[in-house]
Amino acid sequence: MNKPTLLTLALLAAVASSARAEGTTYQIDPTHTFVTFEASHFNTSTLRGRFDKKDGSVVIDRQAKSGKAEITIDATSIDTGVGPLDGHLKSKDFFNAAESPSVKFVGDQFSFDGDKVAAVSGQLTMLGKTLPVTLKANRFNCYNNPLLKREVCGGDFETTIARSQWGMNYGLNFGLPDNIRLLIQVEAVKQ
Amino acid sequence: MAIRQALLMVGAALVGWQAATAAAAPATYTIDPSHTKVYWETRHFGTSTHRGRFDSVEGHIQFDRDSGRGEVSISIATASVSSGVPALDTVLRGSSFLASDAHPSAYFVSHGLRVEGGHAQELRGEFTLRGISRPLSLQATNFACRQDAQLQREVCGGDFEAEILRSDYGSTFGLPFVGDKVRLLIAVEGIRQ
Repeated sequence: MNKPTLLTLALLAAVASSARAEGTTYQIDPTHTFVTFEASHFNTSTLRGRFDKKDGSVVIDRQAKSGKAEITIDATSIDTGVGPLDGHLKSKDFFNAAESPSVKFVGDQFSFDGDKVAAVSGQLTMLGKTLPVTLKANRFNCYNNPLLKREVCGGDFETTIARSQWGMNYGLNFGLPDNIRLLIQVEAVKQ
Repeated sequence: MAIRQALLMVGAALVGWQAATAAAAPATYTIDPSHTKVYWETRHFGTSTHRGRFDSVEGHIQFDRDSGRGEVSISIATASVSSGVPALDTVLRGSSFLASDAHPSAYFVSHGLRVEGGHAQELRGEFTLRGISRPLSLQATNFACRQDAQLQREVCGGDFEAEILRSDYGSTFGLPFVGDKVRLLIAVEGIRQ
């Protein structure tokens, strides 16, 4: 009689702890989630561009202070507001979007400041290469959205990457910058 | 002799005057639309920063390298707003925000461009949005002139920024969930004419 009870308790505990580890899932709101890049143009002005199509989800476990984020960006949706430049950025010189249409970030190391996400480290896959990046949170907040009638969590993250690490080298020899700042707006809706 | 000498002197003076005028005349730079954008940022529900831009910006910069003084005037087609969300762009063009039908252009005009040691100083001027004009001061975060290898011309420009309250220009819809503070980032490059 004792043994099955203990086993049951152990199973219940295992189920409970795995449920807790799963945390809460939030689906990316594509209308409030954008990756914007900044590139200095010959040290004169700063060009910004964004990706209009993206998809993903975030799981946050505030108790365990852990989480997982998966965001996929469609490289063909690059948008600088200058059509010919978008065409060049999609070409083999930069994103090679025909052969490598998706850019993916998988974040699996969340650090917290209290109950707010402070940074997310993970892997960025671009042009077939996967390398570590850390996104620093400039702000993070959760609120009840009155239109959606759901909890929404999100904020602003940023990082700077050296594009040559992913093999994107065009223009480095004539003054286009290697370091690209990424500004990441994200809001995700509780499921 | 005396008359001839006098004429020569007048001639020399005229040549000298012309040369001085040419040196002092500010050069005009026409805005390069592919490297001139007005970007905006505002806070959404106090949580994330929503960004957008205006794609159609025209104008010119006059800049006298010797004195470091000049003026900037740009005109922004408000209907060219682009947030990456077409449905939102339609709302932004509407009467609650940009009122693009009634006010197709926004303007920034400054006679106070001043560059010292390659660094542009504060740019004081007037910003007109929704038909309301108010003083606005832009801070330069980058400014440089370069000889552009492709254009074979001198290009001057940089990044300027300012913060406005949209309520100052009569746009109050969605407050406070959609922020009142709007940060404007102006990337501008002008090609010497």
